[in-house]
Amino acid sequence: MIHPDDEPAPLVGSWGTLYALVVLYLFVLIALFYAFTVAFRGPR
Amino acid sequence: MRTLDWVVLVGSTLVIVLYGLYKGRGSGTVSSYLLANRSMPWWAMGLSIMATQASAITFIGTTGQSYVDGMRFVQFYFGLPLAMVILSATAVPFFHRAGVYTAYEYLERRFDPKTRTLTALVFLVQRGLGVGIALYAPAVVLSVIFGWSDRWTVVLMGVLVIAYTVFGGIKAVTWTDVQQMAIMFVGIIAALTSAVLLLPGHMSLGDALFLAGASGKLNAVDLSFDWTNRYNLWSGLIGGMFLALSYFGCDQSQVQRYLTGRSLRHMRVSLIFNAGMKVPMQFLILLTGALVFVFFLFEPPPMLFHRAERERVSGMTAYGEVESRYREAFAARREAAQALLQSRDAPAAERFEAARRRFDAARADGIKLTGGPYNDTNYVFLTFVTRYLPTGIVGLILSAIFAAAMSTISAELNSLATTTVIDLYQRHVRPGASDSHYVLVSRLATGFWGVYAMGFALFGNRLGSLIEAVNMIGSLFYGSVLGVFVLAFFVPRATGTGACTGLAAGLATVWWMNRYTGISYLWFNVAGCLVVVAVGAMMGRGLQGASEGRRLAGRP
Repeated sequence: MIHPDDEPAPLVGSWGTLYALVVLYLFVLIALFYAFTVAFRGPR
Repeated sequence: MRTLDWVVLVGSTLVIVLYGLYKGRGSGTVSSYLLANRSMPWWAMGLSIMATQASAITFIGTTGQSYVDGMRFVQFYFGLPLAMVILSATAVPFFHRAGVYTAYEYLERRFDPKTRTLTALVFLVQRGLGVGIALYAPAVVLSVIFGWSDRWTVVLMGVLVIAYTVFGGIKAVTWTDVQQMAIMFVGIIAALTSAVLLLPGHMSLGDALFLAGASGKLNAVDLSFDWTNRYNLWSGLIGGMFLALSYFGCDQSQVQRYLTGRSLRHMRVSLIFNAGMKVPMQFLILLTGALVFVFFLFEPPPMLFHRAERERVSGMTAYGEVESRYREAFAARREAAQALLQSRDAPAAERFEAARRRFDAARADGIKLTGGPYNDTNYVFLTFVTRYLPTGIVGLILSAIFAAAMSTISAELNSLATTTVIDLYQRHVRPGASDSHYVLVSRLATGFWGVYAMGFALFGNRLGSLIEAVNMIGSLFYGSVLGVFVLAFFVPRATGTGACTGLAAGLATVWWMNRYTGISYLWFNVAGCLVVVAVGAMMGRGLQGASEGRRLAGRP
């Protein structure tokens, strides 16, 4: 029987994997925002 | 405001209030009134967490900030997903296992009554001042833009929020938060879409982004490191993470949202949901502000967005000449923008930059006429909305602003009442009373804090710079309070006396940094937390006390 504290994370099963995906998602967002910043810096 | 706008605003607000009253039925026990019998699903908690954080001024001011300062404010939120992961993995299981009503209740189990009472009082002072401002600030902005009475706006908003929060407790608060957050999402999308559709006919979205970028408004990421620079990648990731850890992990107005979860899994997922949604949402709000800036490159913006100030200075003899120079500077900037769009080369960019500087200088001359400190950032977006957006959309965006204000205020009233009753009244004044007695006192406490917030807001115009000071107080306390919780969770040797001494040392350090250094406030959270942990750890009880501390912390 699964203890309520040990319920699996949704979609990926493991909480560690879910947390890693959140961190990865954050860094992908930052990379996209940085590319956005650079792409629209204007002519220099 | 046309009739249709009023119908949308009044209709949506009333539907939300009635829905809250309906969903709040049957909150007759303390567990139900304050924690919804721990029955909430993750998505309702997740939306409630987001709605609580998004105040009306966040909604109005963020777009204005982007108009003035560009999109760099988005970096403030970069630490939030990291904080959500850390809290989900650490603090949330501690709170869940302890089965507490408030975050501060946990501190008594881990340390002693004085640590609990001290941190609860810090929360009441800080959040008590904050709830008054959450009510006062949007009322002032709406009164300036629409000419409404700020007092009646405060009373109307206050009475509606108090009604459903007193009656339905946290169930009413959470379910109305869900509706309010939905309206905010629709409002954000409507504002962004309108800003795109209202661009001049010859201009594509790509052109608009090009001009916004050339004006320095799309500066979403700044990799440079500078202690005094408020928003860069590092202050956002590190300082923002500590701020978010403190706000979502130690502030009862947020902790109480996820304590209502039906299981640990739901509590954790609600935070992960917030981690996923918050940064893109803020990006879209800021992008709207940048597009409003591009819109005003081709449509003349008022020299002063604050209507009352504009009307006041318009009678001055110097006004005509300053205004005329401002109009000329606007026309020159528009031509330079047009030329830059066509050629897209460096010389045209330089000419546009020079025209922008002349325009900014002309506006600065207009601001000088006000004769005092002047900041109209909060009026930019609503000026755009009320002057240019179609009927119906104006009502929708105002509904979103009302929703943002009410969702924040209701959650704050609810958490202030919970801390007052659970951490002070039940603990120190009348322990062991009946459940129905505590429900009654909780309702009275909610009503008290609501009336207090209205009183604070009604006299807000006499407070002047105190409001800025109150806003600063939050960042002075947050990091140090976080330090107390870090000691509780992770330093088994730590004692209550060490935690309280550390808290005093942390607050003193942050006060000193604020007073005598130019370090940006996001770093205060890091410094406050580290000082508390260092002092608390040094004053620990020794290695033999560690296992006892571990047991008290509820660590497995």
